[in-house]
Amino acid sequence: MRNILFLIFFFSFALSLHSQESILDGAEVAKFKEKVIAEAKKTKTIKADFIQLKHLDFLADDVKTSGKMAYKSPNLVKWEYTNPYKYSVIFKEDQLLINHGGTKSKVDIGSSKLFQKLNELIVNSVRGNMFSDADFEISFFESPQFYKAVFIPKDKKLVEYIASFELFFNKENAQVFEVKMVEPSKDFTQIIFKNRQLNVPIDDSVFSN
Amino acid sequence: MIRFLAISLFIVLVTAGCSLKTTEGLREVTVAQPTISNPYFSNAEVDYVYKAKIALYDKNFGGILIIKKTGSDSHRVVFTTEFGSKLFDFYFEGENFQKNFIIPEMDKKLVVKTLEQDFRLLISEKIQVLEEFDSEAQNIYKTDIGKNFGFYFFEKDSRRLRKIVKASKRKEKVTIDFKIVEENIAQSITLQHENFKLRIELEKFKKE
Repeated sequence: MRNILFLIFFFSFALSLHSQESILDGAEVAKFKEKVIAEAKKTKTIKADFIQLKHLDFLADDVKTSGKMAYKSPNLVKWEYTNPYKYSVIFKEDQLLINHGGTKSKVDIGSSKLFQKLNELIVNSVRGNMFSDADFEISFFESPQFYKAVFIPKDKKLVEYIASFELFFNKENAQVFEVKMVEPSKDFTQIIFKNRQLNVPIDDSVFSN
Repeated sequence: MIRFLAISLFIVLVTAGCSLKTTEGLREVTVAQPTISNPYFSNAEVDYVYKAKIALYDKNFGGILIIKKTGSDSHRVVFTTEFGSKLFDFYFEGENFQKNFIIPEMDKKLVVKTLEQDFRLLISEKIQVLEEFDSEAQNIYKTDIGKNFGFYFFEKDSRRLRKIVKASKRKEKVTIDFKIVEENIAQSITLQHENFKLRIELEKFKKE
């Protein structure tokens, strides 16, 4: 009997540790969304450093790359990997402008719905504003450190690539500080932003190849 | 004189019949080593992570290639975009091949077969030797790859594997160059198809 009580105590303790992340109720969600949308509205530009970690279950270490990100309202984004290699992608209208260590190329994504969707996700997730997207089932969570929005694609084709898409928001300013993309295999990619600068002037020439 | 002519004719016939550039000027010797090994993907402790540049005809792709030895005779080979999304995920175990994942755009019989054969050539570890050749600086081992042959070029001084050529009886098909090697890890590799325009360049991620 004593053992059972101990077990119950132990498990409820373990559970309480896990339940530090709690689901937001309707009113809390409305309030949180409002905050994020207000923040996105006043965002004209973002500059940030990022670290990308690719987790594969069979590897000893995550594959780490890093670089810089620049965003300019309404829809210009540049991802620039600087370590361990130089590679940049500019998302511009229906095109990807790629610079692969000096080799430049263009990819037309207008024809690929999937690519368009991924592009939209990336642009919107940088701003944090993707709650109006009807293509996802969205749920919201809260922990002492962050808010988390989990997006599950409704599109069957997209589900083959992405099981879920998670955005982590800073509690104070409702800015995205981490993006996590989980694959159907449970392997995932994490992008963590650092040294984020808001509304510093960025010249348009940054977004040309 | 007749004997000289006969020998000359014999040499002409032999060299004409053996039209592979790969073995030109090489001397066949008796096989001293029944098996050879490719050491570059053989350490199960190491995550082999490479930046990949792929040129297919006039198209260029990039991504990250990850190879891991997962068992005594098995490897995982995963290719992702720079953003981390998987393009394909293959599993090799001995003669077996398993496609864990591939994006629909790449899931064509010929593409998968080419990738399977190329990566098998790259990671195959212990290989039985059919014939052995010799040049001034290298030992060359001929091996059996299904309908084709493999030629493994080892440097005599360093005993380092420098090159693998896959060829039919008459024609080279694929060449793999291990250009820079440090601590038994190939830092820079190119894989070139000789019968169509496909070139894969791999650069090992540098340690931080």
